[in-house]
Amino acid sequence: MRVDAYLIPAVDGVAYGLLLAIAAAGLTVAFGAGGVLNLAHGTLIAAGGYVAAATSSGTWPSLAAAVALAAGVGAAGGGVLAAATAALQGRGHLDQALLTFGVALVGADLLTAAYGSDTLRPRLPEVLEATVRIAGHRYPVDRLAVLGVAVAVVAAGYVVLHRTRAGRLIRATVDDRAMVAGIGVNPRLVDAAVLVAAGALAGLAGALTTPILGVGPHTADTALLLSLIIVVCGGLGSVPGALTAALAVGVVQTVGVTSFPALAPYLLIGAMAVVLLARRTSLPTGASA
Amino acid sequence: MSDPRPHLRRRLAALTAAGLLLTGVACTSTATDSGSVRVGLLVSLSGTYATVGVDMQRGFRLYLDTHDGKLGGRKVDLVVADEGDGPATAVPAAQKLLERDQVVALTGLVGGATVDKVQTLTTQRKVPLLGANARPAFAPVGGKPRDLAYTWHTSYNSDEPGIAIAEYVRAQVGDGQVYAIGPDYQGGYDELRGFTDTFTRLGGKLANPDGRTLFTPFPATENFLPYLNKAAETKPKAVYTFYAGAAAVAFVKQYAQSDLADVPLYAAGFLTEGSVLTAQGSAATGIRNVLNYSPTLANQANQDFVAAWSAAGHSGQPTTFAMASYDAAAVLDRALTAVNGEVSGEKLNAAIGQVGRVVSPRGDWQFDPTEHRPVQRWYLREVRNDGPVLSNVLVQDLTTLPAS
Repeated sequence: MRVDAYLIPAVDGVAYGLLLAIAAAGLTVAFGAGGVLNLAHGTLIAAGGYVAAATSSGTWPSLAAAVALAAGVGAAGGGVLAAATAALQGRGHLDQALLTFGVALVGADLLTAAYGSDTLRPRLPEVLEATVRIAGHRYPVDRLAVLGVAVAVVAAGYVVLHRTRAGRLIRATVDDRAMVAGIGVNPRLVDAAVLVAAGALAGLAGALTTPILGVGPHTADTALLLSLIIVVCGGLGSVPGALTAALAVGVVQTVGVTSFPALAPYLLIGAMAVVLLARRTSLPTGASA
Repeated sequence: MSDPRPHLRRRLAALTAAGLLLTGVACTSTATDSGSVRVGLLVSLSGTYATVGVDMQRGFRLYLDTHDGKLGGRKVDLVVADEGDGPATAVPAAQKLLERDQVVALTGLVGGATVDKVQTLTTQRKVPLLGANARPAFAPVGGKPRDLAYTWHTSYNSDEPGIAIAEYVRAQVGDGQVYAIGPDYQGGYDELRGFTDTFTRLGGKLANPDGRTLFTPFPATENFLPYLNKAAETKPKAVYTFYAGAAAVAFVKQYAQSDLADVPLYAAGFLTEGSVLTAQGSAATGIRNVLNYSPTLANQANQDFVAAWSAAGHSGQPTTFAMASYDAAAVLDRALTAVNGEVSGEKLNAAIGQVGRVVSPRGDWQFDPTEHRPVQRWYLREVRNDGPVLSNVLVQDLTTLPAS
C-alpha cells in the first residue's frame, strides 16, 4: 500500500516532467546553441497546439499530419525570429528579450483572434484516450505515449548534436565563430538553422502537450514560464541539465503539491530558489558583452 | 486633365455638407424622440472570459432580433462596450456608457469584481444595473451596507448551485462520504461552500482527511491527476466539484483517466456548460450537475428560445449565460412597456420592481423583493448524447432558491 501510494505519483512526475522537457527543449537549444533568448517560445508552443487542434480528428493519419504541421509552423516561426534577431547581432540579450517578447504579445493576440478564446484540445485516436492498469492503478495511455516520444526526441537530439556533422558545426559555432567562418560556413546561417530547429521543437511540444493540457489564451504564458524555470534550474543552454530540471519540476508538481497542499503555489518557485542558491556560481552571461 | 477637379471638389463639398446636415437631423431626432431608448451592454469581448461575454451578447441580441428590435414598443439603440478582464478595463467602459452615451439601463457584466465596482457608479446616477451573470457578496462601503435599490440580477448567487444539489447528493451516497475539490479563488470558495455547508448540515460527511475542501492552485494547476489519485485513496462514494473554462476541460478529461473514473462526479453546472463541453468530449458523459437552465427543458419559451438560437446560426446549444442575458432583455421589455412618456433611470427602475412573473426559457421566475435576484427553480442535469451532440440533459427538478 505504501509503495503503491508513491508509485503512481512518481510515474506521473516523470511523464509530466518529460512533457515539460520537450516544451523546454526548444528554449534551451535556441539559447545554448543559437545565442537567442527567445521569449516568444511559449507562443510558438501555443501555435503548434492550435494547429494540431485544428488538424487532428481522432484518426492516426490526422494525428501524424497534425504533428508534422505543428512542427512546420513552429519551424516557420523560428525562421521569422531568426530573421528578426539577426538584425540585433551583437546588441546583447536584453534587446533580444524585448524584441521576442513583443513578438510573443502580438503572436498571442493573433492566435486568439484566429482561434477564439475557447480552450481547444487536439483529438486523439481512441487507443490513446484509454487507460491502462499499473500496479492496480489506472493510468492514461496518452501520457505514456508522450513519455515514449519525449525519450525518442531527447535521444535524437543527443545523436544529432554529438554524432553528426551538423551537430559538430553547431557546437563549434558556440565555441568559436571565427573558426567556423574560417572553414567556409557562415555562422549566422548556423544560428538561423538552430532557431528554426528550436521552433520546430516548440511546435512539436505544442502538438504533444495540448492533448493533455488543452490549448487556450493562457497556454503561451504558462509554457514560457515553466520552460524558463526549467532552463534556469538546468543551467542556461545545457540540454542534459534541462532534462534533469524538467524531471525535477515534474516530480515537484505532482508528488510535492499533493504531499504539501498548503505550499503548492510556492513549491516550484521555492525549488528554483534552492537550486540557484545551492549552485553558488553566478549564471553564465552568454556571448554578449 | 485639370478640368474635372473643381467639379469633384464641389461635389465633395456638397456631399460633406449633406452628410453634416443629415447627422444633425439624426442627432436632433434621437434627442427629442421618446420612442427610442439607449441601452448599454457591458460584456467581455476580449480576455479570459470572452466566451461568456460573446454568449451573453448573443442572448441579448437574440431577444431584440426576435422582437423587431424593440423593447416596450420603443426602438432600442444597443451600445456594446468591452468589459475586458475586470474592473481596470470595465470601469472606464461603464463610465463612457453612463456619461457620454447616457444609457437608461446597463446590462451584461461577466465578472463579479466588475459588478462590485460598477454597482456604485450606476447607483449614484440612478440608472438601473441589470446584471446577467456574476453577483458578488457586496461588501459595505464606508461602513454602510450597499444600497441595492438600483441593482438587479437575472442570474444567481454563486453559492446557490451547491445549495441546490446538496440534498440530492446526500440521498445518493447514503452513509458514504463525498470528496470536495475546487479552484483556489473567490468563485471556488463560494461554489464549494454552498455545497459543503448544506451537505454537512444535512448530516453528510466529507471524505477529505481534515474535513475541509481541497482547493487547487488557480490558475497555475492544469495537471489534476496527482490530486485526483490522492483523493481516490480516501475511497469516496462520490466527488463534488466546480471548475470553469480551461481548468474544467483539463479536470474532466483527467478525472476520466484517474483512479476516480468509476466514482460518480457531481458538479456545479459550469463544469460542463457551453464550449468547454465540446473540448471535453466523451470524457464528460455521465457527469451529473446542477444549474438553473438546461437546453432540453420542455417548456414553450425554451423551445422557442432554442429554435431561435439555432436559426440565428449560433453553433452548439444556448447556455445559462445566453439565457440570463436574453431574460435581461425580457425584463427591460416588460418594464419599458409600463413606463409612460420620456424614459428616465428612476422611472425604469421603479418599473423593473413591478415586472412580476417573467416567462423564461428556464421556467417562470420573479425577482426576490429585497435581494433583487431571481427566485427560481434549479435543475439536475446529466451530460448525455442528445441526438448527435453532447448536451446537459434535464434529469429532474431539484429545488427553488432562494427559499422563502
